Amino acid sequence: MKKRPALWTTAHRLVALGFLTLLVLASTGAIGWLSGSTSATRLFGLVPFVDPLAALEAALAAREVTPTMLVGAGLLVFLALLLGPVFCGWLCPLGLALDLNHGLRTWVLRRLRPRRAERPARTPIPVGVRILLLGVVAGAAFAARLPLFQVVSPINLLVRSLLFAAGLGLVLPLALLVLEWIWPRAWCRSLCPLGALYALLGRWAPFRVRIDPVEAGRLPCRRCTIRCPMGIRVMEDWTLAGRRSVDDEACTRCGTCLDACPRGVLSLGVRDLPLPEDEAEP
Amino acid sequence: MAGSDRRQFLLLALGVAVGGGAGVLARRAGIETSAPGRPRPPGAGAQGDFLAACIRCGQCVEACPWSTLHLTGLGDGVGAGTPTFDARRVPCWLCEGYDAPLCIEACPTHALRPLADLREARMGTAVLDEATCLAFLGTVCRACWHACPYPNEAIVFDEMLRPVVVPEVCIGCGLCEHACPTEGASAIVIRPHEAS
Repeated sequence: MKKRPALWTTAHRLVALGFLTLLVLASTGAIGWLSGSTSATRLFGLVPFVDPLAALEAALAAREVTPTMLVGAGLLVFLALLLGPVFCGWLCPLGLALDLNHGLRTWVLRRLRPRRAERPARTPIPVGVRILLLGVVAGAAFAARLPLFQVVSPINLLVRSLLFAAGLGLVLPLALLVLEWIWPRAWCRSLCPLGALYALLGRWAPFRVRIDPVEAGRLPCRRCTIRCPMGIRVMEDWTLAGRRSVDDEACTRCGTCLDACPRGVLSLGVRDLPLPEDEAEP
Repeated sequence: MAGSDRRQFLLLALGVAVGGGAGVLARRAGIETSAPGRPRPPGAGAQGDFLAACIRCGQCVEACPWSTLHLTGLGDGVGAGTPTFDARRVPCWLCEGYDAPLCIEACPTHALRPLADLREARMGTAVLDEATCLAFLGTVCRACWHACPYPNEAIVFDEMLRPVVVPEVCIGCGLCEHACPTEGASAIVIRPHEAS
């Protein structure tokens, strides 16, 4: 089989790696125009970005909203409303670590257990658990007056370990890397409250994986479903169902399915407006 | 999708109820005091308020021109990831020459609150150990007094010319702890404010 270049996979990995590298450089003081971590970042000492879940927790715990929180979280909420949970697929450092690890897993499985490598990613933990956990995080922040997820979030632990060498923090992220080999993306898809928040915000996002209705359905090969790291059944649930875009909330727009598709059925872009007859369908 | 919408909303509401209940129980069990008190950057205020507002982003650590601050590890319990400092190693130089402490300006959530006057910065309180203080041992030493940003106010002398800390004035910057010439541990150290 001729190997096609994995453009989108390479692109989202490079973007996430670049973001993390910039954060590390900023923490050492090598670059001055960026500061902070994934929880809160500042560009040119002026434009703030604040993790919307961190802002929500701090607002609930401290019963106070600062202008920086409002603007910083507002910018990311706005981006999520337009682009969906792209943070998960393109920026999250833990997502990058899991994605690289998933790539390694696929590479190893192809050589040792080729048949298992052709099985889609499956996690027995229901997707709804992360929505439940999002509620738990918000409720606990308000009642305990502590932003508890910011304390234990494996994303923060990983970033704090890399940026601030804050000891012991790598245990949980490493455990998730091991878990990736058993249940791919159990964290991202089913547990991460931040992912749940971004998914909720991105429900109506116009930026999606689009499906070419002409190409779809010709000799379905299922590579998109097999490769999707989030375990979305792209072919069964969306392409063959006659949909014009992959509207699964778990979709991070990482583009892995675009790389997998041999026929160019899938593309990333602004979704087509639903046709009137689509609306009329039950 | 309406059924799925309702399910998601119910899950979210259930989560809030569970989290809220657990939070109330945790608070009753004293979770907010389980983080050991530590010297804090200026503007941190009461420990409980600080721990509530701090999102552990580390921007204060990066902003500090003297690399005074570091984030605590998981051993700090619910305080993990919050900024603190070891004044013996690097004290808080109070951002002399700047308009306001840069850590406060960097804080996105007002966990470090803007101060009208640096005298309101309550990072901790200096405590003097008379057993190791050279002045109490008979030497003429006023290193801590020389280092103190508020000499004759935060550190005064008794009738034997020995230093005495005035806790009401001391802001806990640790310049005294840093300057103390005692071998090894300083004879004057910053004690954190108690957990709320």
